[in-house]
Amino acid sequence: MLSSERFDIAISDLSVRYPDRDSEALAGFSETIAAGEVVAVAGPSGCGKTTLCRTLAGFVPSMIPAAVSGDVCLGGNSIRGVAPEALATRIGLVQQDPDAQICTLSAWQEVAFGPENLCLPAPEVRARVERGLAELGIAHLRDRVTTTLSGGEKQRLAIASILAMEPRVLLFDEPTANLDPRGVQTLFATLSDFGRAEKRTLVVIEHRIDALRALAPRLVLLDRGKTVERYPARERIDYAEVGLRGAWALPAPETTSGSPRIVVDRISFGYDEALWRDLSFTLREGEVLVVIGPNGGGKTSLLRLLAGLASSRTGTIERARGTQVGFVFQHPHHQIFERTVRQEIELGNLRGAGGVDAGLLDARLAGLEDAAPLSLSLGEQRRLTMATTLARRPNLLLLDEPFIGQDRRNVLWMISRLREVVAAGGTAVLVTHDIPLAAALADRVLYLDRGVYLLGPPDEVFGRLRDLGETAFTPEAWS
Amino acid sequence: MTREKGLHRSSPMASFVLLLVLVGVVLAVPSLIVEGAILLGVACLAIISGDRPAQFLRRLRFVTLFALVLFIAQALSIHTGRIFVASPVRITAGGLLAGAKMALRFLVILSASALFVRTTDPDRLAQGLIRAGIPYRYGYLLILALRFVPFFQDELRSVREAQRVRGIEVSVRSPRWIAHAARYTFVPVLVSGLHRVESIAISMKGRCFGLYSKRTTSREEPRSGWSVVALGIAGAAIALAAVAARGRWT
Repeated sequence: MLSSERFDIAISDLSVRYPDRDSEALAGFSETIAAGEVVAVAGPSGCGKTTLCRTLAGFVPSMIPAAVSGDVCLGGNSIRGVAPEALATRIGLVQQDPDAQICTLSAWQEVAFGPENLCLPAPEVRARVERGLAELGIAHLRDRVTTTLSGGEKQRLAIASILAMEPRVLLFDEPTANLDPRGVQTLFATLSDFGRAEKRTLVVIEHRIDALRALAPRLVLLDRGKTVERYPARERIDYAEVGLRGAWALPAPETTSGSPRIVVDRISFGYDEALWRDLSFTLREGEVLVVIGPNGGGKTSLLRLLAGLASSRTGTIERARGTQVGFVFQHPHHQIFERTVRQEIELGNLRGAGGVDAGLLDARLAGLEDAAPLSLSLGEQRRLTMATTLARRPNLLLLDEPFIGQDRRNVLWMISRLREVVAAGGTAVLVTHDIPLAAALADRVLYLDRGVYLLGPPDEVFGRLRDLGETAFTPEAWS
Repeated sequence: MTREKGLHRSSPMASFVLLLVLVGVVLAVPSLIVEGAILLGVACLAIISGDRPAQFLRRLRFVTLFALVLFIAQALSIHTGRIFVASPVRITAGGLLAGAKMALRFLVILSASALFVRTTDPDRLAQGLIRAGIPYRYGYLLILALRFVPFFQDELRSVREAQRVRGIEVSVRSPRWIAHAARYTFVPVLVSGLHRVESIAISMKGRCFGLYSKRTTSREEPRSGWSVVALGIAGAAIALAAVAARGRWT
């Protein structure tokens, strides 16, 4: 049973500065969030959203060192000096990277971990676990080893493990980042019930505000650690005008398809069972293929096959002579090798592509040349890996979920670079869960599900998905 | 399904006790008969638990190679009893017996440990240890250590793939290249590991880990006849060891 205690959050003049940064992550941020309210926090990459979440949950400064001033009160009591594990009985945080949140080896045990720490009776723990797994649609994964789950499955598991603790305040740091469109709709329908039925407070950090419609949140726009705008719940917002992702009016591509770049002939792929069989297509110069589909459908596996990093069970993949592959991985830290941003860019041979300083400027990393690459925000790391990949002048550019954690400006920067590659006769293959963006960007769309694939021009594929009842994968679902 | 067979159905604690007893017996009672009998027993258990005989032997391939090296080293270095070969190297009955015992002991310990790892869910083992009175923080150390094994494997694979797509050549042909390999392979994996440790610590604290001195263990351990079988085998091994010790079996 929930206590009748009210948990209003009052944030007053909150400033946070990390030891290795010159500027403040939060600079005098103030906000009041009433108990039971649903608030979305949006803003450019690096504007302080994740810091806000981590401070509210008590991790800053107790586990992540930082100079903090101002105050946060929960139900009228300051959280200053309260240990995160004590605060966690009331505030639950779902982190941005689900991989980093999972700490046990089985899905069932992962959901049970929090309630067990609360010393709840065993039958109550078991009931919460079953409820959490069912609510997130992952009851079938209960006995799976956590390391074998896909990114989306891990995301759902991470959310279920926090919901099972039934905190009064739920903080979500980009919960849609790894979820497929169907998963996003299910998640927010679940959160809507969870929040409103029991008067829980939800604070959701999200770049894709269009995904949050089911929650009808009040919107707080942050920039450089401060509130720049507030929008009441249910107000219609022009996403592009306020610099958010959600509506894309991209100019039509200038190129037409050329000769074949890569010919895929009846390939099959899978782990224990085939994810898809006899997949065939030809990609041409000047073409953009966008791959969409549910979590665990084999999208990343396809990119690895196209890059020559994995082998298909059957069939062949032929690349045209002179094909230079550039692959931007889903997790940028895998592609970072040097100690400073400058060294990393030098490793990418940007000297020859206009110099290191030009590379820094282009990727909007000027001023960070001496910073450790892994201390950068996710958006900055992504721009860095994109810049070093492009420095090799690829003509087959493979991008795996490049828009996760990116604001509108970063997304547009990446699209412009992608289009440069394509305009120069290159070919691009892009995996994304952002359906409106896929519709705006693709020459052709490939929908991959277990055992099913649809390939064709965007209108044709989205039409067929509509006929199949997979409306979450169509642009209308997000307009 | 192999998971439903034999020791897979035993409780992790019963399997753990069996492993400790088998290892303890071969270390305490240096008898060729006892070691041979236990190795045969481990092979039978592995086959009952889902291994095909050829699969069991294949898994022991490298271990057998090391056992052979141990046998030869002992046979050449111990010179007691009847002399079989006098030159160019001296091979004696005592040396051969000591070598065989050492090799068999090595095979028993490795094959029994491998069988335990293959048939035991570490999460359930940690829960069992916590139920048995081990402080839960130590129980979770085991889980976290095991959680990081696949993590490092995945990270290493991803880093190697990233090197390939960025054209970074890594080999170990010379000390300079070894340093190069360490810089571009182990450093990124290690840094990534440190970041992961920090994130998981946040995740655990964020779910009240350490808030109370005790915690619930909610997963019920299903009763299985195989737990009794495992403990029975452990008892039989102790009895065999006692008989062997009294009869001075060699």
